[in-house]
Amino acid sequence: MIDISAFQDALGIMFSSVGSWGWIVPGLIVGLVFSAIPGISITMAMAIVLPMSLYMDFFSAIVFLTSVYTGAGFGGSVPAILMNIPGSPSSFATTFDGYAMSKKGEHNEALGYALFASTICGIGGYLLLLLVVEPLADIVLRIGPVEMFAVALWGMLLLGSLGSTYISRGLLAAAFGILLGTIGMNTAGFTRGTMGIPVLLDGISPIPAMIGLLAAGQLLSLAGRDYIIEAEGSREVSVRRILKGCWGTLKFPGVLLRGSIIGIVIGAVPGVGSSIGNLIAYAETKRTAKDSATFGKGNPKGVVAAESAVASAEGGSMATMLALGIPGGGATAILIAAFMMHNIVPGPSFIETQKPMVYAIILNNIVQAIVLLAVGIGFIYVASNIVKVRTRYVLPAILVIATLGTYAVTGETAGPITLFVFALLGFALQRYQYPVAAVVVGILLGRMLETEFLRSYQLSGGNPLYIFERPGALAIIGVMLLSLGMTAWGKRKQNRAEAEEEAAMLRLQQEDAAGRAGSHATKT
Amino acid sequence: MRIGQHRYTIDYGHLALITLIAAAVFWYLLDARSVSLSVNNLLLVQPVALFALAMYLFIIPQCFHRVDKETAKSPKEQDPLAPTIPSERSDIIRMASLGAALGLLVFLLDVIGFDIGIFLFTAAAMAVCGERRPLHLIGFSLAVTLVGVYGFRALIPFPMHTTIL
Repeated sequence: MIDISAFQDALGIMFSSVGSWGWIVPGLIVGLVFSAIPGISITMAMAIVLPMSLYMDFFSAIVFLTSVYTGAGFGGSVPAILMNIPGSPSSFATTFDGYAMSKKGEHNEALGYALFASTICGIGGYLLLLLVVEPLADIVLRIGPVEMFAVALWGMLLLGSLGSTYISRGLLAAAFGILLGTIGMNTAGFTRGTMGIPVLLDGISPIPAMIGLLAAGQLLSLAGRDYIIEAEGSREVSVRRILKGCWGTLKFPGVLLRGSIIGIVIGAVPGVGSSIGNLIAYAETKRTAKDSATFGKGNPKGVVAAESAVASAEGGSMATMLALGIPGGGATAILIAAFMMHNIVPGPSFIETQKPMVYAIILNNIVQAIVLLAVGIGFIYVASNIVKVRTRYVLPAILVIATLGTYAVTGETAGPITLFVFALLGFALQRYQYPVAAVVVGILLGRMLETEFLRSYQLSGGNPLYIFERPGALAIIGVMLLSLGMTAWGKRKQNRAEAEEEAAMLRLQQEDAAGRAGSHATKT
Repeated sequence: MRIGQHRYTIDYGHLALITLIAAAVFWYLLDARSVSLSVNNLLLVQPVALFALAMYLFIIPQCFHRVDKETAKSPKEQDPLAPTIPSERSDIIRMASLGAALGLLVFLLDVIGFDIGIFLFTAAAMAVCGERRPLHLIGFSLAVTLVGVYGFRALIPFPMHTTIL
């Protein structure tokens, strides 16, 4: 399962680049702080710090960014537990029982459960990734351009269809992103959509566009608020009780395992990610638990299930990213951009030729999960005060950093201008519930999609029946159609159920009002 | 607007956004076709553009909301995952002002220099967000300018055009 010589080389990389380890704690702190502020997402945090990683060596840059990713996974659960406000969408299910525990005065224990579940399942997810890299490398090497195109298309369609309440809006966002990604000169030498601007010959610079869409656009929407969130008063923090919660996590090995498996599988599917994984893990744990009636009223199993899925989803999405070079969402899209900034293309050839580096990245992530335990406890002390920062100080400072960051990437004002244009686009897309991540991934994958499609076309000689000679591609297309059909059916069912529930509520209200009117008439 | 028996409201902002996207897609398709009609040029661009335009036609009806249906809706509990962009007039003015300030910053960086640009932008953004105390406005803007300019100058190899610093 593990290539021993590559593993030894990976240990060599780990110990020869001890300096890179220094980026773990700052990365974790950045991730924890940003994700604890509701309204500032994991992807926003990673997008803002991405340009800083440009001047680090490759391994340090990846260590820094993955540390931000790891820290952000737990950071969102702190306001979820203390204030019933998910710091990020992936912490939504944590609020159900986390805040209920908090109301009972068990917030320290709840934070302990969340922190330890994050640590254990983060390590579990990466250990599994360590084991599957070798067989994964054998499989992905057999993938040709047709399969690659099918996988990328599947990822885009999933991102588009699942990232929004409306499938049509998601698909439009994905298609628009792909087209933006193909601007400039393609591999066949044709130049499109440049409007005569020389900078656009190489296409839209993805990093400023990404920072604009994911960070600046959403920051603009915070301008109307005085505080990012009107928080409740801070609660007393006790390390002893947090550790008691940590220890208590071990009483639920089944919940941890189920949450991890759901998190890894869902995290590996492009477009789904931890924001859905935590809800599914929570629902499954509640469904199968003997004490399901106590869920939502402060059952620690609910916190453990949700957090275990969030932490392990990171390993799953990293597997897809490393093996296929396809980002599962905004955060892994930024990691791919970091790879590209160092002229490294993740995917089948990277995993085969750079196996020691892949192992080193995975091992470092395991170290990060362990360090998170210590940094996380320290962070809880300050976390409840972070959300009280006034927007008048946060917004200008972050926007200046983002603008200077894009200048650092391009070395000319084209970077900041791209940031501005895409910030406006991101703001408008968010306003009307379009999945911004689908546009970002489209910009990143547009060129790759076109290149693989062209290669497939050339290999097949333009014969569409060639697809029948590629069973792998056929299977992927089959799964793609099936999953799209299921998504559409599921959403239809959900909408119908919601409509029925609304109608029932309305009926109940009307009956209630009629009953009250009747009793009032009898009294008079 | 009345269509048949029902009254509808039109979400002009949404309609404008998707029309803008569709226009950009249509222009891009025409531009690509004007370069060459070769399959190697249009293989991906043409079907994706046509798909996007089809989605546009599919989304247009979503910009029209039936009034009676809207008013019949019971007030729902606040969904913490739903987009939380404020819709009050004063908030929209704040967001637009901040966007305009960012636009001025990026387009004037080369003209007035990074130092003056960042200082003015920070002060303007703070004022937009509600800060009125002159000392705070000047002090914080100055701190952001100094940290930003000197910090990034140490970090990046490109020259940063400044007027004073």
